[in-house]
Amino acid sequence: MKRTLALVLTLLLTLSTAAIQPALASDVQSAAEEILASKEYLNVYKTSFSSSYPSFNYYSTAYATVRSIVANCIDGLVEPDIYGVYVPSIAESWETNEDKTVWTFKIREGVNWVDHEGNDTGLPVTAEDFVDGIRYIADPQNGAYSLRVVRDLVVGLYDYYWALDDIDNPDVETDLVREEVVASFDETVGVKALDEYTVQYTLTSSAPYFLSLIESSMLLLPVEYDYAMELGEDFAVDNEHMLYCGAYYISHFERDKAITLTKNPLYWDLENVTVDTVEYQMIPEGTTSLEMFRRGELDYTSVEAEEYLSMAGTEWEDNLIPSERSLSTNYLWLDFQGENPEFNTFIQNENFRKALQYSLNREAIATLRDPVNPTRILRNTINAEDAIYDSNGVDYTDYEPLKTVKETDYNNPELARQYMEAAVAELCEEDGTIRGIEAGTVDYLPVGTFEVDGKLPVTIIYVGTDDESEIIMAQLMKAMVEEAIGTDLVDFQIAAFSGWTYGTVADPLNYDIYFDSLSTGYADPSGLLTRMTTDGVENVGRYTVPEFDALVEKALSAATFEERLQYFAEAEAYLCEGAYLIPFISSLRGYYMTNSMPFTSPLTLYGNSKYKGTLVMEEALTYEEYLTLEAAYDIARAEALQEQ
Amino acid sequence: MTRYVLSRILRSLLTVIIVFVTVFMLLRLMPLTGYFPQEMLKEADEATRISYLRNQGLLDHPFVQLGRFVKNLFQGDLGRSLTVYPKVPISTLLQEKIPVTAAFGFSSLVLGIVLGVSLGLLMVRYKDRWGDRLGTLYIVTVRAVPNLIYLFFIQVWVSKWLNLPLVYYKDRPESWILPTICLALGSIAYYALWLRRFMVDEENRDYVKFAQVKGLPKKVVLRRHVFKNAVIPLVIYLPSDLLFIISGSLVIESLYAIPGTGGLLTNAIKSQDNPLVQVIVLMYAVLSVIGVFLGDMLVAFVDPRIKLTEGE
Repeated sequence: MKRTLALVLTLLLTLSTAAIQPALASDVQSAAEEILASKEYLNVYKTSFSSSYPSFNYYSTAYATVRSIVANCIDGLVEPDIYGVYVPSIAESWETNEDKTVWTFKIREGVNWVDHEGNDTGLPVTAEDFVDGIRYIADPQNGAYSLRVVRDLVVGLYDYYWALDDIDNPDVETDLVREEVVASFDETVGVKALDEYTVQYTLTSSAPYFLSLIESSMLLLPVEYDYAMELGEDFAVDNEHMLYCGAYYISHFERDKAITLTKNPLYWDLENVTVDTVEYQMIPEGTTSLEMFRRGELDYTSVEAEEYLSMAGTEWEDNLIPSERSLSTNYLWLDFQGENPEFNTFIQNENFRKALQYSLNREAIATLRDPVNPTRILRNTINAEDAIYDSNGVDYTDYEPLKTVKETDYNNPELARQYMEAAVAELCEEDGTIRGIEAGTVDYLPVGTFEVDGKLPVTIIYVGTDDESEIIMAQLMKAMVEEAIGTDLVDFQIAAFSGWTYGTVADPLNYDIYFDSLSTGYADPSGLLTRMTTDGVENVGRYTVPEFDALVEKALSAATFEERLQYFAEAEAYLCEGAYLIPFISSLRGYYMTNSMPFTSPLTLYGNSKYKGTLVMEEALTYEEYLTLEAAYDIARAEALQEQ
Repeated sequence: MTRYVLSRILRSLLTVIIVFVTVFMLLRLMPLTGYFPQEMLKEADEATRISYLRNQGLLDHPFVQLGRFVKNLFQGDLGRSLTVYPKVPISTLLQEKIPVTAAFGFSSLVLGIVLGVSLGLLMVRYKDRWGDRLGTLYIVTVRAVPNLIYLFFIQVWVSKWLNLPLVYYKDRPESWILPTICLALGSIAYYALWLRRFMVDEENRDYVKFAQVKGLPKKVVLRRHVFKNAVIPLVIYLPSDLLFIISGSLVIESLYAIPGTGGLLTNAIKSQDNPLVQVIVLMYAVLSVIGVFLGDMLVAFVDPRIKLTEGE
């Protein structure tokens, strides 16, 4: 059985690599093919998850773990191929108008919804199901999560949503009637079923990134509306209360314990579903999953930095593979409106901000995540590299002046001290008294209260969580800042807060410096940058930067995608260079070990990984094999992106 | 007796009501931002957050919310989880989780009592000799060493030696052994420690000395007299221990991936899952008062010196 399967899979793989053969250097290509042919492949993939699956309602979930299951069970209109190029999924084809405000998708015929036993429900996936997806999230009573981007982008959706909300709000007087507003959906909201198999989205602004938004956002997935409405609050609370149109259906669900995905027998692309069953187990402890991988009970495990060091010299050393990419960036928020008069005076000064910026040794911080090759974790920009490309295949972070920011080495203690001295000269009296402020008590409760004397050194209150690794990072930062700038000029205090940090620390501004992360959500810088404007919901530091706001505005009204990226690059560089916030590393961490063949499943940059096409080996991949396969893949991907 | 029982029931009911209403109201004092996962909080503007809270009924007056909860409770509806398992009926959650935790809790309790009492007896029998010293070493180790150290050791190394699964599987009974033992380690030490202490106390009493002077063998004195009296202070907690087998262990359930109730209340509080916290608190409050009540009854039953009412 295994041999037969291996033959079939090898054949499939040969076919898939045939297209890239001309572009591969012959030695790299043959080495990669040799690896592919030398393996035996299995049809079961065993993996783990570390925290609960709260429910499977893909419209109202904030949980990445749920998204990863749904990505394999509900197909969207398009999906990325192994190179990240968008190819048909439920939509057979699509077209857009010149300014990318109207997107029309031709839905594949003959795709039916199946239930949790893989039975055909007889209900076809139609254009109306995509319209109904928007209809579902447009009703505030359904509690859709992460609605802002889609709500603001689809024509009429914003007004429709708030009209319903006004009706539901007893504090608002309105003449509107719920039934009438609901009935107006098809007329007023910019998503329409032109016929049974054609769906059209009309957008409020140019969205050249719309396909990547389809990949990343659960809100653009289809739903069998009558089925969902009939279930009401029970919709998708478990595997038995939802329908499936993806490569897999959830055949077994044991809350907080196990989930089994089984190949959908009616799937439209069945021949490319290489794994029959995906078995998930909940393993809350990382060390347990590592041990289970060693015992052959799992096909994948992550390996943290400290575990990596303990595995050096063992039989598993050759199987440790560095995690590939993270679109999430770690950065420091600087509080521009906090109660600490010392910090508040200094943070308005660019020299002080730059002193902080240049005092951090990012590589040393990154060593906490990867002791072997920390430089791969460094990141100076807000948006991730290798995430957004223009139509010529140029990486957004290679647009000037962002490229300069990206390549700047900010580890410069001497310069940090110089900037600080300049700031002190501008803000302090000769005797070290900070102008315009008085001594007092800083009330950052529930974090704590802090005494400040209104004199140098400037008190900086760093507030982080009580997570051990975060505390170590904070201590490292304290040492760096105080060593670079000098304890005569700064007093870096650490306050570790246990509990809900965003709601009690960041949002109410109970900090001077706060550590956080943000992720590039889809193939456009607007996903992050429009949230970071002066009035943006993500402007946690409450800075006011009209220059940045103006550049973002210009980007949003740019005529071409390249022009748009240029303005965004200028805006992002302005924010970073002015050190209004300080990005310093990506969220990438550690290593992993796997039994799956890399580069065989879709490259889901913005969404969650899919098992379609994954090849599962009997034994663990070695790093040497990985490097060979990666070399071949990189050549093929570069070509695929150029042909795009 | 009937009067005593009725009086206790009324007082217990009052206790439950006070505990529940206090917790219910305290939950409403928590910051509204706590109802949102961090990502949602960052992504949503103020108006969207308020809309969400209103649709969840969280902006209604606390007494309105209390009335709604009580009304639903009397109709057999425990409500739905808000944040930990959004929209999942709480009754479903409890039905799924309690049997798993209770099975482990009961097995480990039985194991703990059997081995703990045996160890306690052994320690008394061989007081100040090797049996006692080994028992003391075990008790001190279990109680003084941070449990994660030996729990990890048992999970990784003992499972390897005995070729047992690393985590719990519903359909593999051999995977139940290690978590049951781990759960029992603490109670073995507890029962051994206190039984030894109470028995040693009893041993020094006059009636024991008198029995020994009369020529009764030490074994008989220990079994027939000392043990019976020493066990009374332990018996009082037995009903509570039995009822609270459903509460689970956060560490061990996490370590062995047991989908039980361990950590459920902690998670619910951390995530401000009000409906779930309310139900669990109510459940534990009821179990507590029942446990205390049954403990009192049991101790009166096993110890004829104790009278529940003046008339008896």
